[in-house]
Amino acid sequence: MRKPLLISLCLIFYILSLLADSEEETGPRYTISGFIKDTGTDEELIGAAVMVQELNRGTVTNVYGFYSLSLPPGFYHLKISYVGYALQELAVNLNENLTFNLELQEQIQELAEVTIRSEGRQAHVRKAEMSVNKLPIKSIKRIPTLMGEVDVIKAIQLLPGVQASSEGASGFSVRGGNPDQNLILLDEATVYNASHLMGFFSVFNNDAIKDVKLYKGDIPADFGGRLSSLLDVRMKEGNLKKFSGSGGIGTISSRLTLEGPIIKDKTSFLVAGRRTYADLFLPFAKDPDVRDNTLFFYDLNLKLNHIFNEKNRLFVSGYLGRDVYANPFARMAFGNQTYTLRWNHLFSSRIFSNFTLIHTRYDYELGTPDGDANSFVWRSKMKDYSAKGDLNFYITPEHTLRFGLISTFHDFEPGSAYGTGEQSLFTEFILPTNYALENGVYVSAEQSFGERWNLRYGLRFSSFHNVGPGTIYNYDEHYNARDSTVYGRGDVYHHFLGLEPRAAVSFMINDVSSIKSSYSRTRQYVHLAQNSTAGTPLDVWFPSTPNVNPQVSDQVAIGYFRNLLDNRLEVSVEAYYKQMRNAIDFKDHANLLLNRYMEGEIRIGEATSYGLEFLLRKNEGRLNGWISYTYSKTTREVPEINDGNPYAAPYDKPHDIAIVGNYEISARLWVSANWVYSTGLPVTFPTGRFEYMGNIAPVYSNRNAYRMPDYHRLDMSVSFGSKPKPDRKWHWDLNLSVYNAYGRKNAWAINFIQDEENPNITHAEMTYLFPVIPALTWNFHF
Amino acid sequence: MNSITTIKTSIIILAISLSLWNCTERIDIELDSTYTRLVVEGYVTSDTAAHWIRLSETSDYFHNQAAPAVTGAEVAIDDGESVHMLTESDTLPGWYLTSPDYHGIPGRTYTLRIRNVDIDKDGMGEEYTAASAMRPVNTIDSIQIEWFDTFVSGYQVRVWAWDSPDPDWYAFKVWKNGVLVTDTLYELIVQNDEFFNGNYTYGIPSQFLSTDKPEEVVEVGDTITFEINGITEEYYNYVIEAQSQVFPQTPLFSGPPANIRTNFDNDAIGFFTAYSVNYSSTIATADIVNGGKP
Repeated sequence: MRKPLLISLCLIFYILSLLADSEEETGPRYTISGFIKDTGTDEELIGAAVMVQELNRGTVTNVYGFYSLSLPPGFYHLKISYVGYALQELAVNLNENLTFNLELQEQIQELAEVTIRSEGRQAHVRKAEMSVNKLPIKSIKRIPTLMGEVDVIKAIQLLPGVQASSEGASGFSVRGGNPDQNLILLDEATVYNASHLMGFFSVFNNDAIKDVKLYKGDIPADFGGRLSSLLDVRMKEGNLKKFSGSGGIGTISSRLTLEGPIIKDKTSFLVAGRRTYADLFLPFAKDPDVRDNTLFFYDLNLKLNHIFNEKNRLFVSGYLGRDVYANPFARMAFGNQTYTLRWNHLFSSRIFSNFTLIHTRYDYELGTPDGDANSFVWRSKMKDYSAKGDLNFYITPEHTLRFGLISTFHDFEPGSAYGTGEQSLFTEFILPTNYALENGVYVSAEQSFGERWNLRYGLRFSSFHNVGPGTIYNYDEHYNARDSTVYGRGDVYHHFLGLEPRAAVSFMINDVSSIKSSYSRTRQYVHLAQNSTAGTPLDVWFPSTPNVNPQVSDQVAIGYFRNLLDNRLEVSVEAYYKQMRNAIDFKDHANLLLNRYMEGEIRIGEATSYGLEFLLRKNEGRLNGWISYTYSKTTREVPEINDGNPYAAPYDKPHDIAIVGNYEISARLWVSANWVYSTGLPVTFPTGRFEYMGNIAPVYSNRNAYRMPDYHRLDMSVSFGSKPKPDRKWHWDLNLSVYNAYGRKNAWAINFIQDEENPNITHAEMTYLFPVIPALTWNFHF
Repeated sequence: MNSITTIKTSIIILAISLSLWNCTERIDIELDSTYTRLVVEGYVTSDTAAHWIRLSETSDYFHNQAAPAVTGAEVAIDDGESVHMLTESDTLPGWYLTSPDYHGIPGRTYTLRIRNVDIDKDGMGEEYTAASAMRPVNTIDSIQIEWFDTFVSGYQVRVWAWDSPDPDWYAFKVWKNGVLVTDTLYELIVQNDEFFNGNYTYGIPSQFLSTDKPEEVVEVGDTITFEINGITEEYYNYVIEAQSQVFPQTPLFSGPPANIRTNFDNDAIGFFTAYSVNYSSTIATADIVNGGKP
């Protein structure tokens, strides 16, 4: 326990020394700071650029919309810009500390091609930040959808380096990683299962979301705990100026979001709800067995925020979602809940801080009705309690420092099952609960050197401690449980400590192009026991223990970034190489559910991934969208799997193309389309067969020696909306989406089936999920 | 829950959520070949009967003919006390039979030895062995059949019996009028008692007669016999693995495909197992049969 303390102290001293230094070095400086907001709603804009023309330097707002610039006294022109918003210019005579809370006007796209001078877009090239994609909510809304449900996760799956784990799934693989290696945060709270309805929809209700950012490699030192990526989703704060709402009636669900001020300019709220209603139609089903079914999911997003004064602001946010399926003889329910309490405090105009308390939980329940011999209920849940503090220190426009810490207490209850009712033969079966404490301390800095060099470097120190009460099974060399060790309440019985350095550098070749490079190490202490490609809600998370080491990843990336056509077109090419140690796989025929000895099913190895990613993106204008292409290769090597030979990782898709386009025919009519193509997933097929008990059984090839047929799909949509008028309060649009427009039968599964007539004959049979699926959605906002 | 309930529930959930969409279609796939292996299927039970061992070869996956039989082998079963030689069937090539008065004794361990086969065609005979203990099995108090009609139609067989206080592994089968109707791997049900060790079963549904299969349709007066086998943990795992590889697999619930274990040495595949047997019967009354018919 001494080492982490020592390192933490070192970090604190380092920070203090920087604070002291900066005061001396910089001489007399004054600060311009404030929040940048949307005129209409007062929602803070994340990542808005504030450029100082005279210095050709600037900053961008942080996730709370805050910016701060400390400059020598003088006269400056500031340009404030944000994609989709009108540029604002400001002349400032700086001879004292100034606070400017600025409001930007959302640009209503006119018939004529609007030229938005987007100095802010230059950040794409300049910032020492790579392997990051940000998707404006507006463009997510225009992507054609499956059954009319606008979905953040489906949208990010169209980005280079990101792949859906299987057809229609909410799980995604980033640069060859597993879906459980993505840290999905909703207002800073971890979402452990981001899927609804077997993964076909995600938990994010687009109407309640303000900002989505995906980090695929160069994860900032502020975040840790997952190997591959960070998906940072921020909810809207609620309109501070006027009561407003939005919603929609769709093919499978309806949604309504209401927001507004409780005290004007001080307190606002937001409530967003969504529920599917497929089950409302079940009573009309032809099949009487289907009529008694229940099948729905809902989401509820709640938000309250209060501005005490210029320096203090409080946010409360919550998410509750649940899926319920039931029929006369079985029921199942699962869902996430997240709660976040945040306090923004300005220690000075240059020191921004945020303190957060988080609670998140995921649980599921499976059962049968009471009163029968096989009546049972099976529950599993996990809970996290976190406390977090982050400070941003804006030393000069050339130097920003961030530091903070987070501590999370994990409570895993992997499963308990017992018979229900008098007649049940099942005994109580409870898997031991696990407790653990996960900590992270970080410091990171962004610095510019001269006109061309930008540097971002940081160090995260993370630790993980198994805390009693707990039961750990001890395994022999054949992975058989030998005995167990029981730890008492409060025993801290195992520790993992690790440093996670992160660094990125960018070199501006000229005003519109740059070369960037980054290195990052990430460590993951909690893992998902998922053995199938798509995963199910029943998969359980498990902590690192004396039997399971944390996963560690080292990634390097290099990229070329260029803006074309007056910054309207962004081009990037990135190459990455990633090495993952202690990568988790499972033995053949692993049993991961309700298994006391689940840890004995784990097989540890190494995974390697490399790839090349191209992205051409146009964010503005009547025609916008992007083209992405990824070439990648991911292999795993686990001594006990595939005779120790390397094999293609489950999400290895060498070629992956996505073309996303949106064209505005008029202000009232727009069309969108996207086309995706990828190499089929690796798969194990039989190469031989034998007869046993009247059935034909397979003799398999090596692991993942074959590939599914290539995947491709075209989706299209057309939307027609109300006439945009400045004084109009009520807006609506009608959207017709067609998923899989040319009816490609993409194999979801391939099975080998014995012929019913002649049992000696076997056929390959593919299962596909979606034919052409049209959906109609009516959306409104006021 | 390990097997029955999990699988059942999974299938139900799948049925609800996917039946709305999923469609299947035959496709052509080219598969490579693999080398030939000896395949053994063999049983020794506590019943007195001619027990059989079947020897065959693996073939290419789309071989589309009966598995090639392995004839001329020397097959023997050793129970630790004596060695019993099997004779090759005159009518069924590759089938080797014990004498009709042969029966196993619970508590003994049976070893199967196969000699004089040349699977790798190198001109030299190979030898293969596998062993299995015969575990005892409890008696059944009674059984009943009951109409069941949700997603699938037929009669479920409910069983009243005590589970022993020791860990147990069971296989369940059903006979109709003296004919085994659950005669494929698809229909065999295996269960361990991890979740109900030592409990009374209170009529738990344990097997199923489907109206979709002509031989399983129940008429008034039919004798339905439930067979319970005391099997080994190894054979239980073998069946679970074999079923998971033979049943259709989905990206939701199935792990990566993997070869099914065997208890043979020398790269042979298949399984040789010994098990003890008990039976319980019931006669389908008009009440039961008509009670279920719509």
